[in-house]
Amino acid sequence: MDQFTISPSSGVPIYKQLFSQIERMVLNGYFPVGDHLPSVRQVATNLEVNPMTVSKAYGLLEERGYLTRLRGKGMVVAQRDEAVSQQEKFKMLNKMIEELLIQAQQMGINEQEVIALVAKNATENSPKSKKDKE
Amino acid sequence: MPITKTIIKINNLNKSYKKEQVLKELNWQVNQGDIVGLLGKNGAGKSTLLKSLLNIEEIDSGEITLFGEKHQHLTAQIKGRIGYVPQENDEISWLSISDLIKFRKQFYHQWSDEKVAELIERWDINTKKTIAELSPGQVQRVLIILALAPMPELIVFDEPAAALDPAARREFLKEIVSLASDENITIVFSTHIVSDLERVANKVAILEQGKICYFDDLDTTKENVVQLTIRQTDENDIDVPNVLRCRKYQQGQNCVVSKLDQNWLVEMRNKGVEITVTPMGLEDIFLELTL
Repeated sequence: MDQFTISPSSGVPIYKQLFSQIERMVLNGYFPVGDHLPSVRQVATNLEVNPMTVSKAYGLLEERGYLTRLRGKGMVVAQRDEAVSQQEKFKMLNKMIEELLIQAQQMGINEQEVIALVAKNATENSPKSKKDKE
Repeated sequence: MPITKTIIKINNLNKSYKKEQVLKELNWQVNQGDIVGLLGKNGAGKSTLLKSLLNIEEIDSGEITLFGEKHQHLTAQIKGRIGYVPQENDEISWLSISDLIKFRKQFYHQWSDEKVAELIERWDINTKKTIAELSPGQVQRVLIILALAPMPELIVFDEPAAALDPAARREFLKEIVSLASDENITIVFSTHIVSDLERVANKVAILEQGKICYFDDLDTTKENVVQLTIRQTDENDIDVPNVLRCRKYQQGQNCVVSKLDQNWLVEMRNKGVEITVTPMGLEDIFLELTL
């Protein structure tokens, strides 16, 4: 049951690492709606981290609407509005794009070049073009 | 909101050995449910602080209360609620482990044979052997078992992982994690193995120059203490709020701050200053805070 991985010595607090991991796993359907998440104790023992850290991550996910607490049954993936879910996905991608643009800027590569690079990558890696190559 | 209970309270603690003052007007407070990692360089006085706390070492002056009672006059009932794992073993070395356990049990009105049996099995301790016949790592495990058997509410560990190999340390951390699931249990452990602390502690304390010079949530610490890389084109240096140290480069500066000022960051970025924020691991943070 090693669904989650953490790096304790990273500068990013463990609860934040767990939060973003589970957020991604909910958005990409790894945890479908209604799915039960492992209990706080299970995760804490498995990862050898303080249970409070796990509770904190779960609490934050509940607050953001990803999870719902069911009495006596723990946390389940919440039913969400498709539009909201879509928004969250864009938000997450946006963060990654922002980071990409900053990195590019630092290397002296301008936005137009980045856009061209993304477009090129998209065509090369699309399933269709991969089939063509075969 | 539940009321937070103060478990340890220290006011103006002074402690010296001969002429050397180790703890100077030290103040500290630990609340119920906290899992505190106590960091400090070698010789900073971590053991002295823990021993003073438990009245194993006599203090020069100051006031310490545990569970609201003065630490020199703890009732037997309060004493039974405190577990301590010392750095050096001073248990009777000629008793077999099983006899040692029976002997120690007499002093407590609460004692979990279940817990003892479980840990002895899990940690593979031969109870027929005496302390003198065990390896340092096994001795440390026995000391941990003796401390946990009375089901204490406050547990003080002095360098618990020092003699343990990595696998045994992991086992020990698992035990701390399981203890920490009980919100009533408070744990203070001194360590120089920062990665252990990062996994299980929710608070970090740094002892330096006789004082607790830093005490905060571990998560908050990691969010606050960050490295900033500032790229600037003009000659004027930018004033960085809460700066701990800065190194200048041709194209800017590299700084570490004790608390990232978000408003300042936004303001600077709006002015077109390029700032990259990089989080730091606790080991680096510790070194920055104790320079």
